Amino acid sequence: MTKEKTISITIDNKKLDVKPGLTILQAARLNNIYIPSLCAMEHLPSYGACRLCIVEVDGIRGFPTSCTTPVDEGMVIRTDTQELKGLRQEILKLLLSEHPASCLFCSERDECKEFQGTIRKVGYTTGCRYCPNDSRCELQVITEKIGLTETSYPVYYRNFPVEKYDPFYDRDYNLCILCGRCIRVCNDIRLNGTLSFKQRGQLTTIGPAFDRTHLEAGCEFCGACVNICPTGTLSVKTGKWYGMPDAQIKTTCNLCSLGCILNLQTKNNTVIDSLPDYDSPIDKGLICVKGRFCITEYIHSPMRYGTPMEMTPVGYNNISWDQAFNIAAEKIAHANPDESLVIISPQLLNEDLYVAQEFARKTMGTDNILPAPLIYLSDDFVPYWNLYIQSQDLDAVEKADAIIAIGFDSQYGYSSIGVGIKKAALRGACLITVNLKETNLDMLSQFMVQAEPSSWPGIIEALTGSTKRGPVDKKVANIFKENSIDIDEIKRALAGAKDRLIVVGHGGLNDPVRPDILAKIEGVVDKKYWGIIVANPFTNLMGMMLVGAFPGLKPKDIYRDDTMDGAIALKSGFTNLDLKKKKRLIYIIGDAPIHAIPEADYLIYQNAIPARFQRQPDLILPVSLFPESEGTIISMEHLVMPVKKAIEPYMESRPDWWILKGISERVKKGRLKYKDIQSIQGEIKKLIRGYPNIKKRIEFKKIIISGVTKTKAKKVIPVPDFHKAAYRGIALSDCVSGMKVIERSLDE
Amino acid sequence: MSEKMSSIFEKFERSRDQLIPILQEVQREYGYVSPESVKKISRYLRVTENQIYGVSSFYAQFRFTAPGRHSIKVCLGTACHVRGGGTLLEMLERELGIKCGETTDDRRFDLDRVACLGCCALSPVVQIDKEIYSRMTVTKLAELLKKYE
Amino acid sequence: MNKLKKKITLAKKKWEELQDNRYPVIYVGAASCGRAAGALELISDIGNFLKEHSLEAKVIQVGCIGPCYLEPLVDIKMPNQPRISYSNVNSKVLSNILKSHLIEGQPYVRASIGNFSKDTFMDIPPLFQHPMLQPQVRIVLRNCGIIDPEEIDHYLATDGYLGFMNALKMSPDDVIGVVRQAGLRGRGGAGFPTFKKWTVCRNSPGEQKYLICNADEGDPGAFMNRSLIESDPHAVLEGMLIAGYAIGASKGIVYIRAEYPLAIERLKKAITQMREYGLLGNNILGSKFNFDIKIKEGAGAFVCGEETALIASIEGKRGMPRSRPPFPAISGLFGCPTIINNVETLGTLPNILRNGAEWYNRFGKEGNRGTKTFSLVGKIRRSGLIEVQLGTTLREIIFDIGGGVQKNFKAIQTGGPSGGCLSEEFLDLPVDYESLASAGSIMGSGGLIIMDEDTCVVDVAKYFLDFTQKESCGKCIPCRVGTKHMVEILDRITHGEGNPEDLLTLRNLGDTIKKGALCGLGQTAPNPVLTTLRYFRNEYLEHIKDRRCRAVVCKDLIEYRVIKEKCTGCQSCVRVCPTGAISGPRSEPHNLDPTKCIKCRSCYEICRFEAIAGDAIVIRTAEKKS
Repeated sequence: MTKEKTISITIDNKKLDVKPGLTILQAARLNNIYIPSLCAMEHLPSYGACRLCIVEVDGIRGFPTSCTTPVDEGMVIRTDTQELKGLRQEILKLLLSEHPASCLFCSERDECKEFQGTIRKVGYTTGCRYCPNDSRCELQVITEKIGLTETSYPVYYRNFPVEKYDPFYDRDYNLCILCGRCIRVCNDIRLNGTLSFKQRGQLTTIGPAFDRTHLEAGCEFCGACVNICPTGTLSVKTGKWYGMPDAQIKTTCNLCSLGCILNLQTKNNTVIDSLPDYDSPIDKGLICVKGRFCITEYIHSPMRYGTPMEMTPVGYNNISWDQAFNIAAEKIAHANPDESLVIISPQLLNEDLYVAQEFARKTMGTDNILPAPLIYLSDDFVPYWNLYIQSQDLDAVEKADAIIAIGFDSQYGYSSIGVGIKKAALRGACLITVNLKETNLDMLSQFMVQAEPSSWPGIIEALTGSTKRGPVDKKVANIFKENSIDIDEIKRALAGAKDRLIVVGHGGLNDPVRPDILAKIEGVVDKKYWGIIVANPFTNLMGMMLVGAFPGLKPKDIYRDDTMDGAIALKSGFTNLDLKKKKRLIYIIGDAPIHAIPEADYLIYQNAIPARFQRQPDLILPVSLFPESEGTIISMEHLVMPVKKAIEPYMESRPDWWILKGISERVKKGRLKYKDIQSIQGEIKKLIRGYPNIKKRIEFKKIIISGVTKTKAKKVIPVPDFHKAAYRGIALSDCVSGMKVIERSLDE
Repeated sequence: MSEKMSSIFEKFERSRDQLIPILQEVQREYGYVSPESVKKISRYLRVTENQIYGVSSFYAQFRFTAPGRHSIKVCLGTACHVRGGGTLLEMLERELGIKCGETTDDRRFDLDRVACLGCCALSPVVQIDKEIYSRMTVTKLAELLKKYE
Repeated sequence: MNKLKKKITLAKKKWEELQDNRYPVIYVGAASCGRAAGALELISDIGNFLKEHSLEAKVIQVGCIGPCYLEPLVDIKMPNQPRISYSNVNSKVLSNILKSHLIEGQPYVRASIGNFSKDTFMDIPPLFQHPMLQPQVRIVLRNCGIIDPEEIDHYLATDGYLGFMNALKMSPDDVIGVVRQAGLRGRGGAGFPTFKKWTVCRNSPGEQKYLICNADEGDPGAFMNRSLIESDPHAVLEGMLIAGYAIGASKGIVYIRAEYPLAIERLKKAITQMREYGLLGNNILGSKFNFDIKIKEGAGAFVCGEETALIASIEGKRGMPRSRPPFPAISGLFGCPTIINNVETLGTLPNILRNGAEWYNRFGKEGNRGTKTFSLVGKIRRSGLIEVQLGTTLREIIFDIGGGVQKNFKAIQTGGPSGGCLSEEFLDLPVDYESLASAGSIMGSGGLIIMDEDTCVVDVAKYFLDFTQKESCGKCIPCRVGTKHMVEILDRITHGEGNPEDLLTLRNLGDTIKKGALCGLGQTAPNPVLTTLRYFRNEYLEHIKDRRCRAVVCKDLIEYRVIKEKCTGCQSCVRVCPTGAISGPRSEPHNLDPTKCIKCRSCYEICRFEAIAGDAIVIRTAEKKS
């Protein structure tokens, strides 16, 4: 290993060896030398506006800012002279004269904390105690570190109205110190461009054009600006007043298949906030509105089931787990396995899924497992799976030279893919967007095709077909004309592209022409000229298939290592779990496909939040959600991602596997003997070496249908509300008020 | 509006550094920068409307509301200030009933200040539309306004 | 090169014909200041006169020769006569001049100020012996007001582009050497040695380099750059060619403020002419030098005169400065090495390359070589544009060239909003970079504003700080917030609500802002306040302690009164008073109600100019406490 080149500098008479290319501030921080700063932040481009990080450097006139000055061989730097101290105090005083900071220097401030509850009812923040960000504010920290004890400048209160009309976070620009962090993160890191400085000088404000709301202006509600705001200007509606969290737990988001890392902040057994991890090599901290803002309201929803419940003629009765297990076991014992059906959600953890398929097969004795994706995609599940497992790593997106985004919109999800696409387009890659409506990528796309999904197969063919000028389908030619696109221009643009990528969103997945779309894409990807990324909403689809929670698959069947074939054969007809016939017993684990559930004599619903069933469940088993559980999932990048417990489960709710185990113990045969997560993981480890600490990609086999039937392919039945983001079958907008606002705006 | 905007765009390359020249051309053509024109520029330059607004609101030249029939600009450069430019502005604010930066209700006049027109030897100076009037006084200015419908 | 030489020969011939004209030639000073004084109306009057009298004459619009207080300026050159210059020409005077000089062949001596020859002609002295022009050393302004700025041939005829042709014969490094030897310092304000910046840029890696001409002359009171571009655009453009060649740039940009439409028009014409003459494009004059020039208009932001803000503006962003390093000479426009030079710096280059560095060293003094243009404005008898050697004293400029002050001299502001107010103890200060800096001011772009006893320095300080506040980009805290506090304090002082501690607060704030601000605008913003505090402390104290404004300017500290003994009751003031504060019947002395008076000056002006008495209204301030 070669030694990295270092240069030698002197800070406050200490000689240090640092990497070249760092700023003085970075070098100081790495060596535990404190220099105060407000506008500078790791991961953000430097700005140099607050002037608090000024230092003295021999050979440079005046007082340069350490956050913008790169280190140089032999530099002599002083960070702590009397003059610097005095200047910093003065600058901080000026800063505070624009910020209502009445509590900062008040002698009663500690005693006053008792009265916080009533003070908060005041609509305007005029001091720390009134501020939703109290105790989490960087101004409080800096005032202490710089040692400021009073200020004599009059405070200018700018008297802006507090902006509360957007979902998820409020904005009180009377507290804004114009550090510009929010603007840099929105424009340079997220590549979104909702926030901008407006006007100049003393009249500078921050926001979208023409005083529009953030919703109108194209905000993704990713919360990146809220995360880095040093004051209480931007505050999460559900996270105000909490002060510092008790703990921060790193876990993996379960709301889609990307597997972004989340830092869940907890206090008093409540998840008060959900933050990204900027150092995550996978998602780089680019999380979406779902992972950022929906988790708190979902898991703390007042609708959540707290205890097991049994249906009686006069309504639901709360019962104990003991009673619940007995009832369930009895129903299972008396049900004919052929007339039983187990519906499973792909958004469960690996361990829960493994136990679920064991439960179905051993305890209930049935192979009638119906994963929810099979309901949504039916016959097209197989081509979808075959495409999904070929998804490349997220790194491939920004390196691509040509990208076709089909039915893909990254405004309210899949941010790391979206930002990667934008980076590629800004780098000069050829971006083509194909969708029914406008997408958030259109602005940067070279060619934008707005067309009905029925024409997408033809469009894909035209875009990816051979470079020879062949005749293009007339209908497609018309579409290109309507969109002012010259097909030859596209061909020329694509000709030079080496790394090509197709990104598949769920735009066309609910449309009758879905089979043709998937087939067309499969044809293109098979030829190896184009890579693929499937933005898959079914979180742990890979985990589900791996542990065999699928009709016809046993655990590990679909696992592939280098010695094996690339495909597994499944008999056709596995999707023919006749949903029209009435069942004796239906056991729903973690989903709510209310439009597709057949009639049943007895319905067991194991989930956290009620669904709008036509027929109310007979037995309700409350389940704990992923911030309350330990386990693993497998992400789109084929990696085993850890899910860590951040808080205790709500009331009596318990993990899926625990409930299933409890029931199985009361059923004569098929007892499951797991006492904790580790024991389940041990079982899986027997099948898959190294589980759960597998560091490299897990590979999967494709599925081939054998015994092709002569009957026509099943007609696609569009699923209502398919486009709505959901967790465990419940639309996020049912529990999260902000999502309701967003979805309403999408419908308009 | 599309045709005119298209003909404007034809004169400029599709790169970010053309933003200010395009805005200047739009303002020359329409008298102001409207939300519709910002939307079209956003599509053309591949920059969000918010970023465009952020840039254009920085510069004093751009206005976002339709102009009045005549624009009055009072020079408040040093030489003009020293010779009473501020008094001229106050008189206009009083006569027209509007503040600096606003337009009269009947849309007859816009009133604005300008930093320096570069005619300092003939201060104080007032510009109405394209004409520059030098050595102005309060009484002369009142008479002058009558010339403009 | 040969093609151009042919064109030069032709141009010189044309110019000779113009000097030995066989038909009358009428020159009208029609730069922006001339037009503001009414030059365009005069041109149409001349046109009508010629038509009426069926006369043939050539009418040429020229730029500004300097003495703006004499505008409108019209020169007439009859065959076999020197060119005669007439000043303060209005329609009536014009018709007299034309009748006398054009028709009768007799110069209208009454309205003339000089002739263009070296001797007196028919009782008309040589123009360049005029007290305002005689002490000047006109290098940069040599052609202004003399040639037609829209004729490249005029420029060629007066040895234009000769400097550039000399430069092409040398290596770029040698050109830099000449500029170094000449001792040229940046004329935009900072006075940084031009050759140093050029050397850094030349040695910076990068294929593409840029040369930017900073014509964003934002200093209120400064119009030297505007004048030069309107009167002699090719001087600046030739300078750009020389600079571009020296640093290895292939693209030149003139960043000019939108408030200068005539200058922009002249530049566009000049650039088109350059292309026609092969002075722009590839392989200029047969050399390996490629260069082309674009014009970018500013959009109304004073801060864009600062280098990094200017670059941001060209890149289509908000004009907000950024920290240095990296310096623009290494990484500037679009990340490429960039040199930004002021209009005047560029306008000086052709002269240096044409006549040599040694010639240039004859002017000015060691360390401050050459000349500088200044705009001399304010309460001075002879206001206008001048050019003097560096090292000339303020006294010489104000009293010899400027003709002194009507009333009593009080202060001179140099360097615009970044400079300072100097009191009469500095009248013998030589005008050079170091002397001005040691007095607490700066050279700046060259605006010199003269103030007399009728100017309140506290008001002036507030004015400048108000300006800086409005033009501040808002990025850094010291400038954005600090200047606001300073304005607020000065505002209170001018309203008579000052406290004695305010002076110390102002000094401390000024110190913090000077040291903490990000860019030059912020770092120099406190200068007007700090200098007036230093040199006019008593005036501040009077405002605070005595509630008195000795210059009778600050509205809350003054009162308008009618002197009953002098008032003839002519009612002129009653008619114009907007609030009805003056009342009184005809022929009786009027009453002025101070509670209604808004101090708009209407009554004062009309009494002085139109009323019978003429001096019955006075403006008074509080009596001086002894």
